[in-house]
Amino acid sequence: MTDVKAVSADPRDDVVRKEISEFIKENFLYMRPDHVLQPDDDLTDFALVDSLGFVELVEEVQDRYGIDVQDVEITEQNFSSVNAIVRFVGSKRAH
Amino acid sequence: MCGIGGIVRRDAAAAVDEPTLRRMAAALRHRGPDGYGLATGTGAGFVSTRLAIFDIPGGWQPIRTDSGSLIVYNGEVYNHPELRVELARDGIITATLTDTEVVLQVLERDGLAALDRLNGQFAFAWWQPRERRLTLVRDRFGVRPLHYAFAADGSLVFASEAKGLFASGEIRADPDLQGIDDVFTLWGPRAPRSPFADVHQLGAGSLLVWEDGHVVAERTWWRPEYAPADTGGTAEELDELMRDSVRLRLRADVPVGTYLSGGLDSSLLTALAQDASDHELRTFSVAFRDELFDERVHQEEVAAALGTHHHVLDIGTADIADAFADVVYHAETPLIRSAPVPLYLLAQATREHGITVIATGEGADELFWGYDLFKELVLRQQAEHDETALERLDALYPYLSAPGASRGPVWRRFFAEAGAADDPLLSHQTRAAATGAVKAFYRDEVARELIEDDSTQRLRADLPASFDGWGALERAAYLEVRTLLEPYLLAAQGDRVAMAHGVEGRYPFLDHRVFEYAARLPQERKLDAALHDKIALRELAATVLPSGIAQRPKQPYRAPAVAPFFADDSPAWIEEALAPDSLRDSGLFDDRSVAGLVRRCRSGRATGMREGMALVGILSTQLWHEQFCGAARTAYPEETAEPKVFIDMDVKSALGGVT
Repeated sequence: MTDVKAVSADPRDDVVRKEISEFIKENFLYMRPDHVLQPDDDLTDFALVDSLGFVELVEEVQDRYGIDVQDVEITEQNFSSVNAIVRFVGSKRAH
Repeated sequence: MCGIGGIVRRDAAAAVDEPTLRRMAAALRHRGPDGYGLATGTGAGFVSTRLAIFDIPGGWQPIRTDSGSLIVYNGEVYNHPELRVELARDGIITATLTDTEVVLQVLERDGLAALDRLNGQFAFAWWQPRERRLTLVRDRFGVRPLHYAFAADGSLVFASEAKGLFASGEIRADPDLQGIDDVFTLWGPRAPRSPFADVHQLGAGSLLVWEDGHVVAERTWWRPEYAPADTGGTAEELDELMRDSVRLRLRADVPVGTYLSGGLDSSLLTALAQDASDHELRTFSVAFRDELFDERVHQEEVAAALGTHHHVLDIGTADIADAFADVVYHAETPLIRSAPVPLYLLAQATREHGITVIATGEGADELFWGYDLFKELVLRQQAEHDETALERLDALYPYLSAPGASRGPVWRRFFAEAGAADDPLLSHQTRAAATGAVKAFYRDEVARELIEDDSTQRLRADLPASFDGWGALERAAYLEVRTLLEPYLLAAQGDRVAMAHGVEGRYPFLDHRVFEYAARLPQERKLDAALHDKIALRELAATVLPSGIAQRPKQPYRAPAVAPFFADDSPAWIEEALAPDSLRDSGLFDDRSVAGLVRRCRSGRATGMREGMALVGILSTQLWHEQFCGAARTAYPEETAEPKVFIDMDVKSALGGVT
């Protein structure tokens, strides 16, 4: 299991991690009642989020954190897991 | 318009008993409320239930010729008067004024080559006793249904609807996972599959020949072919074709009305029907109390402009919940949309107003490229040279996101990445991705079984040889005709919900001559680079309708999905059908996953289109399983009324049957 504290440089990251995890659980994981979401779980590998679900997830990130997600930023590196999203949101805030 | 059924025995000496045929008749009586007829004999038996449209007193079926050749027939061949005149020239005089007898006589004279001459919508069984040959035929687009299966003793059993097979007592209803997976991929079960194991649908434009115990031929006698020309397809030609198609489809010995959605297609056909009709045209519309789905303003505008006698059926969410189980019974398939329900209720209202024949606008979007799916393809093609074209994808499929939601790069990425560029199903991957939400609720065992044999893989394997030679838009149009129009729009949302009330739908845009015109029309006369759609059709509409109506953008016909089933006053059976025990009985869906969906629906959080599809898909599957496959499945009693025609086929033949 990933050590959550080890990847959290900014205390706001923990809030983002919690909020994004909750969003995924609420909107997608009710279909996978046995799956306990970990922050580094690959969201597509586990079929946790399908292609339209991915659209909803990116929109949620945009709307909740007030950031503008560009086409080139919609990458596996930025959206493949909860922690990837946390890092992405952090980097966007830093700019 | 009718229901048909029958049994041919592998053992030529085995009987088909009358109680069996009476049960089949009872199961199909909604298709033929005016009466029924039977033909029994050694080795074969046939049944027809009749909705009388031509030759009201004289048109009872089965009909047989002096040679003993017999037909049971469902549908209409609109050019039957012209064919009758032609038969008379050959000295063949028909005893009735029905299209049924004309079809039988042209088959007798010309064999199956006669099919190319038939302009209409039909499914029939032609029995030639001397050869012990049964020929099953279905019309070009599959407007009329036809199912068949093989009994344990090798007998072939056929019927308009699958329930006719089950009523025989010789065919058992069990789920077919692949057929169900078709519904959750393409919206309907694709022939020859059905949602029932070992129950086949005869495909659109197909025929099957059974001879003395064996299937000796199965082939497609018509399929959509595309050969767009650089020029041609004049406005005058389309005007003439559509007027003739509408004129033919007004032929009946009963009054004909139209369904009016308020969009371009139904408005155009209503205008043409009003022009061609010798009486005040009656129009019928569904209106929704939820304004998100409602089009009544447009319907009333068209009706007022054309001066029709207009009827509106006002639909609320409770109406959908109340009729849903009946619709599933008639559709005989899981559904992913509630949209067939209002049309079921509209057919009921139409009959109550004394109208049993309705012309309606299906087919125009498939022939003249009106769906967003075609526009998506054009934009994806343009994006190969100009990436900014993708920005225009934001305007497509508005119903895929919440009302008012902003779109952006992630949406464009979703569309752009839905399917590999060389995938023959490229055009349909967006729909499959959206529809497939239901599959997330499959039990693990079900998902595993389907992983190696999913619906899209089977579809790729069934594409015709000419498919690769067509352009991307023609390929998309073919897929629309074969995967949406035939298995869903004309079936669960077409024939089944109308015939549930003995109402016949007629489709002027699906005259094969109109199709052939559209198939050779240059692309820019259908959809241009600026995404103006159905251009040739809109130009025709502008000659008979106010310009605002002729240019009105398409509004997809939809109905509420979640609200009907989770209101305070929703019926108790909904929660029961979705309860863990019920889900385990049917065995398709994971009960804990469904419980999560139910919680979201109950709390009002299931607002997206995909959750609506998932709910309707699961709920309809539960009802479908309970009605047809479960322990308390539907019982099939015998028809107790006396038949209008009873033919003992072991007795010498007489045309029109002998009583």
